[in-house]
Amino acid sequence: MTDVPLLEVRNLTRRYKLPRQSLLRRAPVLTALEGAAFSLRAGETLGVVGESGSGKSTLARLIMAFEAPDAGEVLFQGRDLHGLTAEELRKLRRGFQMVFQDPFGSLNPRRRIGWSIAEPLRANGETENITPRVAEALEQVGLHPADAGKYPHEFSGGQRQRIAIARAIITRPALLVADEAVSALDVSVQAQILNLLMDLQDDLGLGMVFISHDLAVVGSICDRVLVLQHGKTLESGAAVDVLRAPKHPYTKTLLKAAGVRP
Amino acid sequence: MIELANLSAQFGDAAALRDANLVIQRGDRLGIVGESGSGKTLLALCLMGMAPDSAHLTGRLSIDGQDMASATERDWQRLRSRRVAMVFQEPMAALNPLRRVGDTVMEPMLLHDGLTRRAAQVRALSLFEEVGIQNPDQRLRQFPHEMSGGQRQRVLIALALACNPMLLIADEPTTALDANVALRITDLLQRLAGEREMALVFISHDLAAVARATQDIVVMYAGDMVERGPTAEVLSAPAHPYTKGLLGARPDASVAGRDANGKRRRLPTIPGSVPPLQGLPEGCRFAGRCPVELPQCATQRPVFTQTDAGRGAACHLLTEARHD
Repeated sequence: MTDVPLLEVRNLTRRYKLPRQSLLRRAPVLTALEGAAFSLRAGETLGVVGESGSGKSTLARLIMAFEAPDAGEVLFQGRDLHGLTAEELRKLRRGFQMVFQDPFGSLNPRRRIGWSIAEPLRANGETENITPRVAEALEQVGLHPADAGKYPHEFSGGQRQRIAIARAIITRPALLVADEAVSALDVSVQAQILNLLMDLQDDLGLGMVFISHDLAVVGSICDRVLVLQHGKTLESGAAVDVLRAPKHPYTKTLLKAAGVRP
Repeated sequence: MIELANLSAQFGDAAALRDANLVIQRGDRLGIVGESGSGKTLLALCLMGMAPDSAHLTGRLSIDGQDMASATERDWQRLRSRRVAMVFQEPMAALNPLRRVGDTVMEPMLLHDGLTRRAAQVRALSLFEEVGIQNPDQRLRQFPHEMSGGQRQRVLIALALACNPMLLIADEPTTALDANVALRITDLLQRLAGEREMALVFISHDLAAVARATQDIVVMYAGDMVERGPTAEVLSAPAHPYTKGLLGARPDASVAGRDANGKRRRLPTIPGSVPPLQGLPEGCRFAGRCPVELPQCATQRPVFTQTDAGRGAACHLLTEARHD
C-alpha cells in the first residue's frame, strides 16, 4: 500500500459568470463550489449529498476534468488532472469513469448496446479484444454477453443503468463517479443497483464518489459523507456519525425528508 | 362519495388494472403506492375520466352516487375541477409557459363557475395565500419560468383548488422537488385536505412522503391492489410479501455500514423485475418473484382477505393460515 490516496481534492472552487443584467454593471458571479476538500482511498466510497444548486454536479464535472476549477486541485493517483496536457489527460481517463443519472439519455438509441459499452475503449484508441471485453463487462453487471446485440429500448430502466455501469467499468478504472445513478429507479430496482455497485467495489477495489440528493441511499452505500449546500461544505465525516448525529440543521432536514427518522 | 367496484382496464389482452375496489369519503387521506407499471397513475386517470381511449374499462365507477359508466366527455367536464381535480408531477409541463400563472388559475373559475374576471381575481389571490405563496398579488402576474419548482407546484395546487373540488388527486406531487421543498408540499396537501374537508388521494412511489401525508394506504403491484389498511399499520407490519419486499428494499442507514469482516452490508432485494403485462402469471401477479410462494399462487388468483378492521391483503398465505 502506498500513502498516495486514489483521489485527493484540495480547496476546489468553481465560479460561473451569470448573464450581465445591465450594460454598465459587472456580470454577477455565482460561486457554485467553494473550498471543497476530501481524499478517497481505493475500495472506499464517499457520498456527496445536496439538493439542486448545492454544487454536487459541479464537483463531479471537476473531478472528471470536464471543466477546470477557478482554484484548487484534483489529484488522481497523485497527479493534478488540471495541470496535465490534453494528451496526458486523455491517457489517464481510462482510470476514472462516470455513471450518469439518466441511462436512456446517455445511450445512443440507434446503436446496439455493445457498441455503446465499447465507446470508452475506442476513445482510448484500443482496438483489440473489444468483443470479449464487452462480454466480460456485461457479465460483471449481471447481464448476458448476448445482450450486446440488442438496442437500449429493449431493456428496462434498471437494466439500462446496468449497461451504463458496464460502460463505465470496461476500461477497468480505479475510480467511479456516480452522479444520481439510482435516482430515477424504483425502490426495488434501486436496491439491486446499489448492491451491484457494492459487489463491483469489493471485486475490483474501486474507489467511488457517489453523488445523491437522498441521504438514506448515501447512508446505505457510503463510508464517508460530505454535505453540500450552495457550494459550501456544511459537514463531513463517517456516514454512521453524520446519519446518527447530524450536526447541521440542514442535514437534519435531509434526514427527515429521507424518512430515516420520523 | 367516490366508489370503484371491480374496475379493470384492458389494453388489448393485457390488464393494466385488475379489479380495483375503492371507497373514498370526504376527508379521507388515501395514499396509493407502487412502482412503475403498478397501475397507480392509470387508476388516477380513471377517477378523472381521463383514461386513454385505447383502454377498455369494465366495472363500476360512481361519483356522488352517479354512475360514470355511460358518462360522456361533457359529463366529465362538469365534474372535473368542481368535484375532482388533479395535481401532476411535473409542474413546468403542466403550466402554459406563455400565460401568466394568475390567468391559468382563473381559467377554470371563469369556465366552470361562471365567475366574473374581478371575482376570479379575488378568489385567485386568496387561493395563492392559502397555498402559501408569498407576495401573491405580484406572483399572479408572473410567468412559470420566473418561479422555482416548489412555487410552481403551489400554483398547480391552487389551480386544482380553483373550483373547490371534493377530491384532490396528487400524482407524484413531490418527485421532481428537492427534499425540504417536498416536505413542505406534502404538509401543505395534508393541511388543505383537513381544512377544506376535502378527500386527498396521494399517489407516490415515495413511502416516506405517503407516510407523512395519509391515513390509509393502498399498495399496488402490476395492476393489482395487493394490500390496504391504515398507513402506519401497513408500513410498520406489512402483510403482503410484496409490501414486505418493497419496505425491505428501502435503504436503511441504521443497518448499513460494514460487517465484522469489513464487507459492506447488502440491501435486501426483490428478485427479478416486473414482467411485461402480457407475461404476467394468471394467478397472483407477484408469483415468480415471491419468496414465500405456494404451489397454487401462479395459477389461482388470491382473494382479498381481511385481517383486521380496515386491513387486508390479497395473498394465499392469509387464507392458508385461516384453514390451519
